[in-house]
Amino acid sequence: MRVVLAEDLHLLRDGLALLLETHGFTIAAAVADGPSLRDALTRHRPDVAVVDVRLPPTFTDEGLQIALEARRATPGLPILVLSAHVEQLYARELLADGAGAVGYLLKDRVLNGDQFTDAVRRVAAGGTAMDPQVIAKLLAAGGPATPLSRLTAREREVLELMAQGRSNTAIAQRLFLSDSAVSKHIAAIFTKLGLPPSDDDNRRVMAVLTYLNAG
Amino acid sequence: MLAGAAAKTRVMNRYALAALRCACLLLVTAAGVTYALLMLISLTLVVPFPAAVAGQQRLVAFGRRLARRWAGATVPDVPPTPLPVPRPRADGWYRHGVTLYRSPRTARWMSTFDHYGNDPGVARDLRWLLLAPVTAAIPLLLPPALIAAGLLALRAGPWGWLAAGVAVTAAFLVAPTSLRWYGRSADVLLRTPAGPARTGRTSRARTACWRLGGLAGLHLAALGGAVLTLAATILSWGGLLLWATTLTRPMTEIYRRQAHRWTGVDLPSPYRPLPPPPAPDEDGNYRHGRTLYVEPDFAISLQRHRWVSHDPATWRDQLWAWSALLGAPLSLLPAVLIGAGFFGLVWQPLSWAPWAVPIGLATGYWITPFYLWHALQLGGVVPSAVPGWASIPAGLALTLLGLALAAPLTRARTWWDTLLLRPTVGTVLAGRVTELNSSRAVTADAAAAELRRIERDLHDGAQARLVAVGLGLGAVARLMETDPARARRLLAQAQETSAAALAELRDLVRGIHPPVLAERGLTDAVRAIALDTPLPVTVDTDLPGRLEPAVESAVYFSVCETLANAARVASTVTLTLRHQDGLLRMVVTDDGPGGADPSTGTGLRGIMRRLGAFDGTVTLHSPPGGPTVVIMEVPCALSSPKTSTS
Repeated sequence: MRVVLAEDLHLLRDGLALLLETHGFTIAAAVADGPSLRDALTRHRPDVAVVDVRLPPTFTDEGLQIALEARRATPGLPILVLSAHVEQLYARELLADGAGAVGYLLKDRVLNGDQFTDAVRRVAAGGTAMDPQVIAKLLAAGGPATPLSRLTAREREVLELMAQGRSNTAIAQRLFLSDSAVSKHIAAIFTKLGLPPSDDDNRRVMAVLTYLNAG
Repeated sequence: MLAGAAAKTRVMNRYALAALRCACLLLVTAAGVTYALLMLISLTLVVPFPAAVAGQQRLVAFGRRLARRWAGATVPDVPPTPLPVPRPRADGWYRHGVTLYRSPRTARWMSTFDHYGNDPGVARDLRWLLLAPVTAAIPLLLPPALIAAGLLALRAGPWGWLAAGVAVTAAFLVAPTSLRWYGRSADVLLRTPAGPARTGRTSRARTACWRLGGLAGLHLAALGGAVLTLAATILSWGGLLLWATTLTRPMTEIYRRQAHRWTGVDLPSPYRPLPPPPAPDEDGNYRHGRTLYVEPDFAISLQRHRWVSHDPATWRDQLWAWSALLGAPLSLLPAVLIGAGFFGLVWQPLSWAPWAVPIGLATGYWITPFYLWHALQLGGVVPSAVPGWASIPAGLALTLLGLALAAPLTRARTWWDTLLLRPTVGTVLAGRVTELNSSRAVTADAAAAELRRIERDLHDGAQARLVAVGLGLGAVARLMETDPARARRLLAQAQETSAAALAELRDLVRGIHPPVLAERGLTDAVRAIALDTPLPVTVDTDLPGRLEPAVESAVYFSVCETLANAARVASTVTLTLRHQDGLLRMVVTDDGPGGADPSTGTGLRGIMRRLGAFDGTVTLHSPPGGPTVVIMEVPCALSSPKTSTS
């Protein structure tokens, strides 16, 4: 699986490249600034891009802007955005096109190599990987009048994990439940949020997040 | 039978009683106009005014009831608006305006006076009392006058009997119409609501006339103060200047406030701030100029004296007060012209009937309606050949002249006030220096405190954790060969500790300069806070460029603080952010219960401190029952429009 990596800090870039290579990825290009990221994305057509939000030359949200631009040009281009902080605002912008194949994680998550590479694979396969902090904020920001308030505590936990992009089996392991119990919770969530039930992982995450975005 | 009796009673009421009622209402009208004159006198005497208003309310309520019961009026009773009740502050004093009073009675009297002065109902009632004689006196007078004439005619023999019969019948027939007329006019004059404030040109000019007169009065009061100052200063060789000035300054300040309220001219207080008392030298003496004093008292009074005598505002006040000799008569001119012209020459003839007709009937001595005009003729002001009715056009002309003069004379007064009563450029700059000094000191203190906090957080948090990680990794290096299981546990621990350090650093960075602000600017940063706030926030921003980074940061944290406050009490919040004419304005409105007190929370003070460093201001409107509105304004420039990176 070919990866384009954009990160301006030399140490972190090399560390990430090493991590990805040891987990069987191929680094097509590892770049340090915005313009070269744009070039690399068009030239290499990677299976997934791992991009830092803040890049030279402006040190603002250059990486995010280029990622959004590239996805406008190539809908569904898998991109995982890394950042030292997470903002709901950015998460909403990434999810807005509804094409899936996006991730948005705190840089801290690379400390756990397996989880991180899992997330990269999920994004490359067209799924989503949202940082638990983003999900928590999304859930917290809903006012008392939103349908989210109708969920039980357990259903909220399931929704959080589901929104992170985890499969039913993974959720069941995490919460020490049976697969069928998880399916039942998910069905209840869909009913309470007024969403049509679906088995497709990606579609259901998108549906949940799009729904949360609208709120 | 019964129906016939009832019909007879109705006819009795309609015709026979009507004439009697006309006479009663005539008496009420006469009492009303007398009371209205007392009201005007009480207004000029100020002290009895609130009591007089209370009496007027009772009198008018009585008149209104009679008009409804007897004259078919439909105007309903209007309960007087409740009087404000002064509440003691936490320190036991009572506040009215910007002054504190020990006794609730004084505060209540002051607020009652203000309340009645601004109550449109009081003005409406007074208008009715004054106008009722003109609109209703002749119709009300007609039936009693006809009956009286009929009774007089009885003496003139058989023809007199016939004339008396005709007169009395006419009186009874005309009485119901008179009553209806009275009822209608009461409906028109007493209708509620009194209507919104009129803004026509005439009513503006009329308001300007009275206000000009009021300002002339205050100007004359200041002249009195100036005479006192001059006399005291001359008699004491300057020694009493301080005493006299501290007495007269509040008077001039009252004028400044009132002139601002009435003419809109901005007259900030021009006086220099009281200097701090002199500190003793190293040898314990107090120095003033080249002299040393053992006791501080004398040095303090000398210093105060110098503070007053070296303040240009003291002498400009004096000059201004003496200008009342010319300025006050000029300002009184429109009010005098209207008073003499309208109320003297036009009003007197029109309201002549209710008092002159009874006198004429009783004594046979008929006073002319134009008696004031004749007085002028006797005084030689008007040639005696001019007929009496000319008084009305002449009075109207004088009134119009007065109205026309009001605006230019107000402008002249405003110009003169601006020239002398505003602070001089020097004083303004001196005040600005004091203000900047204190805000700089506050900002510097705040910055130092902030740095100390960051240092402490780094020292106790991330730094300590990184040391722990380093130690752990050292142990891992030693244990790798001998005890791999323990080494693995230690590695996991080191990873956790480094994750915790990262989280701490992230929070710290957010508090120093939020990343989203650096990356996106104020608009998106505010949107990001709105998203993170646990209640619906409507954001409406219009910022076509970026602000100075320091201003941006101060504004961001102020918005955070305000939203956090609102989130505690409200269920929805609206936030607008606009930049216009070099002023950034943020308005945060919430639907909370209101009644927020700016003096209790530290949040608002923090915002003031943050924005104050950039000359920004914060205002809080939070009436009980809400909505609470916080308005923050910062003067600042926008840099070039945001350039998109895409």
